Amino acid sequence: MTRRIKLALALAVVALGVSVSAGLAATSSTPGVTAKSVTIGGTFPLTGPAQLYSAIPKAENAYFQYVNAHGGVNGRKIIFEIEDDAYNPAQTVPQTQKLVQQDHVFAIYGSLGTAPTLSTRGYLNKLGVPQVLVATGDSYWGAQYQKYPWTIGFQPDYPGEGVIYGRFIRNKVPQAKIGVLIQDDAYGQNYYAGLLKGLGPAKSQIVDVEKYAATQTDVSQQVVKLKSAGANVFALFALPTQTIDALAVATHIGWKPVTFINNVSNNTLFMYLAQKAGADVQNDISTYYSYDVFNNADSPTTKLYASILDQYDKGWNQLDGNNIYALGSAWTFVQALKNAGNPPTRAGLMKALTHLNVVNPFLFTGIKMHTTPTDRYPIEQESLVRYKGSTWVPFGRVYSKVK
Amino acid sequence: MRASTALRLSVVGAVALAIALMPFVLSDYNRSQGARVAVFFIAILGLNIVTGYTGQISIGHGAFMALGGYTTAILTHSHGWSTLPTLPVAAAVGFGAGIVVGLPALRFHGVYLALTTFAVALAVPQLATNYSHFTGGVEGLPLPTHTGLWLYGLGWSAAAVVFVCAWLLLRGRTGRAFRAVRDSEVAAASAGVSLAVHKTLAFGVSAAIAGVAGSVYVLTNNFVNPDIFGLTLSLYILIGAVVGGLGSLWGVLVGACFVQLLPIGISNSHTVSAQSVPVIFGAMVILVMALLPRGAAEALLVTAGLPKRLRRVHSSPTPQRLEAQ
Repeated sequence: MTRRIKLALALAVVALGVSVSAGLAATSSTPGVTAKSVTIGGTFPLTGPAQLYSAIPKAENAYFQYVNAHGGVNGRKIIFEIEDDAYNPAQTVPQTQKLVQQDHVFAIYGSLGTAPTLSTRGYLNKLGVPQVLVATGDSYWGAQYQKYPWTIGFQPDYPGEGVIYGRFIRNKVPQAKIGVLIQDDAYGQNYYAGLLKGLGPAKSQIVDVEKYAATQTDVSQQVVKLKSAGANVFALFALPTQTIDALAVATHIGWKPVTFINNVSNNTLFMYLAQKAGADVQNDISTYYSYDVFNNADSPTTKLYASILDQYDKGWNQLDGNNIYALGSAWTFVQALKNAGNPPTRAGLMKALTHLNVVNPFLFTGIKMHTTPTDRYPIEQESLVRYKGSTWVPFGRVYSKVK
Repeated sequence: MRASTALRLSVVGAVALAIALMPFVLSDYNRSQGARVAVFFIAILGLNIVTGYTGQISIGHGAFMALGGYTTAILTHSHGWSTLPTLPVAAAVGFGAGIVVGLPALRFHGVYLALTTFAVALAVPQLATNYSHFTGGVEGLPLPTHTGLWLYGLGWSAAAVVFVCAWLLLRGRTGRAFRAVRDSEVAAASAGVSLAVHKTLAFGVSAAIAGVAGSVYVLTNNFVNPDIFGLTLSLYILIGAVVGGLGSLWGVLVGACFVQLLPIGISNSHTVSAQSVPVIFGAMVILVMALLPRGAAEALLVTAGLPKRLRRVHSSPTPQRLEAQ
């Protein structure tokens, strides 16, 4: 018995002996940058509950290919490593560690999702790796820059968007009885917080708030509850799959409230899929900040957009609004990389992204990108849109400073 | 018995040596992957004690990992503790929670107990979301950054300690009592085994081990928030336990490698669609249940040509034995 315990202890000691800590190898030059290339990487939901966003990295890569074919950025080609995290933060962490420690990327660009971005923010900031133009509109990225200076977002923040809907309901929808469907995580809470702020005193008109877990794709229970709570306004702050399901279920049970769909789920493709599933989406309300390719089919911007995707993203879906989003984001990265020094540095990239003052051709006409070191919301303007026929039609003014 | 013990020790020793030598040939990133395998190794080992050995189904072990993970995160982040002393505390917190969750096991069986533990898996991340002043809420808490080598050493040292403790516990009187409870509660009770004590004890020990796994898990992530303890985590542990083999310690390593390395490998190969991971997981569980009810452990022991008597010692209930009841 004692011999066995001794042996067992010896084994444990052998394993313990392994735990010798070693410092991270210091590198003299900027990781990911050579005379001919800049390697960047990002994590995206190519699978899983948010995979309707999977067109985004492909279209972004198409834009980088287009830039590379025209000489690259200061003679360097952009190599974009795309990793799948299935929108699961537990997978985002190892995939991001792989990009940083094994592939030695210059920066993490465009990574998608609130929870995934939160899960890697501390790690990347500790190592001083830029985490830029993340594809999530939560207010964290703009609000907490002092603590996390290497992180910056891209699109208008969700609370700001929620405020727009809240104000609109308060001012334009008399006798509103508001039913809310949100995802039960940081993403849903951000939207909901904005909605409450915009509603102000009218928040007492909320009759029911239903939640779903991000992994749950069937939200019919929640929609039925919202209807039976007597709601005549439906604030729908969900991921695309759940949005499509909710819209279809609402129509099937004969409920036609004034419906608000959050921007990240208002993609024309999703609306098309919702209608195919039987949803009546006419007159639903949402917001826009990307260039309106659907109502400007013959403009030079739309033609450039289509030619880039035709050439470098074979099989792209013309209905998918993710494509124009992706080009707007990739254009911004290229713009920042041009101003990040030659050769580019990580600090230079952050400096460029916090000194933006440009008109991005792939954004909604009239919107300007603007940042300073203390104002880190690249896009702060949005237009309200209403669904008419088979497309979103802008109405009203462009709302600015939507924080 | 002496000879078989020596044989078993030498097999375990060889595997331990291989694990100890691995970091010298791995890149630092792959060392952190190795640490993640250790996380699943510990968690699956813990689940095996309650489900494999004692026959109480738990699909809520992610919740115990969450408790352990938050213990380490809060102590290091908010109270200035260094990393290592938080591990025993995480085990203690897990033990306490396991005893409490084990109480329903005295009255519930089979699928009802499974649903009870399922509720725990859903509830614990919600608690962390709601008490955000304490846990950081959805924004989470950062943890100290460590090298892959450090994490590998920590993870596998913890795994070794847990493995040895589990072995010593299961091979003796307590282990026999656990297996008796699993195979026939009536027979166990009439032989003088206290069902109440052994069921709650199995839950406690199992959850304590899951707590340690949770600590190492959040350290490999440098981060904790409720989202990393989703339902998939609990399911992965269960899948790993089934593939590795319920009621045996031999296959735990196989189960851990399966659930941790397969998805990453598929995703990084860029040849097989990442869509196929859930399909492969599902197919493997069905195949294992149909062809190898005792999981990889059975396959390993058969190929190793170990004596039948040795295999039987840690075997799980076979259909014949269940019918014999």
